[in-house]
Amino acid sequence: MDKQLITYIKDELHAGDAGLEITPQDDLLGSGLVESMGMMKIIGFIENQYGITVPPRDMTIENFLTVEAMVNYISSRQ
Amino acid sequence: MAEARDKGWNYLLTHSVLDSAYRYPDQPAFRGGNQQYTYAQLAERMQQLALLLQEMGVRKGDRVGIYLNRCLETALAIYGIMQAGAVYVPLDPNAPLERIRGILRSCRVKHLISQPVQKRRLQQLVDGEALPLESIIGLKTDLPVKTISWDEVWEMPTDRSPAGRVCEKDLAYIMYTSGSTGSPKGIMHTHASGLAYARLSAQTYQLTGQDRIGNHAPIYFDISTLGYFTAPLVGATTVIIPDAYTKMPASLSQLIEKEKLSIWYSVPLALIQLLQRGILEERDLSALRWILFGGEVFPPAHLAALMEKWPQARFSNVYGPAEVNQCTYYHLEEPPLSGQPAPLGTVWENTQMLILDDQDREVGPGNIGELLIRSATAMQGYWGQPDLTEKAFYCMEVAPGFSEKYYRTGDLVRQDEAGLLHFMGRKDQQIKTRGYRVELEAVEHQLRSLGTVKEAAVFPYRNGSEETLIIGSVILNGSNGTTEKDLIAALGDKLPWYALPQSIFELSDFPRTGSDKVDRPALKTQLLEKIKQVHG
Repeated sequence: MDKQLITYIKDELHAGDAGLEITPQDDLLGSGLVESMGMMKIIGFIENQYGITVPPRDMTIENFLTVEAMVNYISSRQ
Repeated sequence: MAEARDKGWNYLLTHSVLDSAYRYPDQPAFRGGNQQYTYAQLAERMQQLALLLQEMGVRKGDRVGIYLNRCLETALAIYGIMQAGAVYVPLDPNAPLERIRGILRSCRVKHLISQPVQKRRLQQLVDGEALPLESIIGLKTDLPVKTISWDEVWEMPTDRSPAGRVCEKDLAYIMYTSGSTGSPKGIMHTHASGLAYARLSAQTYQLTGQDRIGNHAPIYFDISTLGYFTAPLVGATTVIIPDAYTKMPASLSQLIEKEKLSIWYSVPLALIQLLQRGILEERDLSALRWILFGGEVFPPAHLAALMEKWPQARFSNVYGPAEVNQCTYYHLEEPPLSGQPAPLGTVWENTQMLILDDQDREVGPGNIGELLIRSATAMQGYWGQPDLTEKAFYCMEVAPGFSEKYYRTGDLVRQDEAGLLHFMGRKDQQIKTRGYRVELEAVEHQLRSLGTVKEAAVFPYRNGSEETLIIGSVILNGSNGTTEKDLIAALGDKLPWYALPQSIFELSDFPRTGSDKVDRPALKTQLLEKIKQVHG
């Protein structure tokens, strides 16, 4: 799941930046790696890919700051 | 500078901090993340940074760059640079590197203030490039230029004021905005124009030392001047919203509650996201007393819905290009009528306006024309671009040797019988998306300059959620296999993120007008179904 999410972020939000490395612990929100429309795309991807719905209440920094946090959140919802 | 405080002088932006440090030393000046600076701390630390900059050779009028995301250090950087007599140049950390390098070269920026989280980008920025940069303050790392940590800054003496004479006519900051040819324009403001804005906004919105201002805008966006300039003038507290919160509305509403914000100022989009995904019904935001929005039109239905959620708050539409900071205001007494955007309102104090036609003649009452503004808050011009500066102003000679100088906003307005101004569109192809100015000509120009593209046309599209998207269309040079993704990625190296088209459609030809120009309205109609499928 880590890999799927990282591949999605690299390919869909950073197409063309071949040297980009993202680890599961990287801060995606504070570093500028993902902006607000990008985050909506990621949430859409998660909903489709893992068959869950993410209600606004769960769209928080705690759940989406890093790929690791997203994985934990998705697992808790499946 | 210490004397200035004792004597109560207040003609520089930095005087506001010194004065508030004298009057309310323990009042929090800026908060960000879980840290804060009181006014006394900010006054001391800005002196230390200023002394260090001067020791490194920074002199009055030199430009110092700020390469920070939304964090507490922005306040320190802004005031430390100005205290050294220098001019701060805020940079968008997410802008294409080539654009940032262009600004660094144009402003001959030798020193940059940054942070550890930017390390990767800084490495790419300086790697193998001829730049005027000599040092970066705010992180200690292995780079081809000297790096200085904050701890080293805090070793500077606190009892000495930086040397040098600065007056209100000196430059304080240069803020960059998009230009129509693709090279950005640096809007030059002095201490006088920045402070004039601070004074006018403090009075217009009745700000006091009790206020807690939510600053959502990044420092390279003029909306940030309320939090950074006006708050210190009145001794209020500015809460800098960290980047992560700007992307997560449910967390943002929690922060607004926790920080008991009383004033909010942002682009409409941030408020719409709060309304739609901020779970406002679960938050106690009763401390909010005044909501300011600006940068673009607030869709009336969303505005009405938000006013219903926060009945205790006043709502105001703020208007003014960054060249004049702000020039009109409009306080909404009631939610806007259905489908009617809020008016721009009336020009505020110390400001004059003209509404002119194409021949620079005043239009009659009720007619549409371009708005021109003369104000204490107006810029000096565009850095290093005297031709553009001259074109930006209209000089009306009122007596031999004395002219009134008006800034041409490029915005078309109409004044109604009640004297209120209404926004009627643009003279050129500039649009606003998420509050940012984008020149569609510049996007077309960059598309056309890609070798794979023969012709390009770009136009705005308003989707079902009333967001303005940028849609591109191209004719390729033969069938060269270039995909939409390739084009957007290539543009990403030239244009800031907010100026990138959301979609680019490939066509074999464009609809044309009689004179063989691309017929953009017809093109839009032709593509409408496809666009709707993707963007709603």
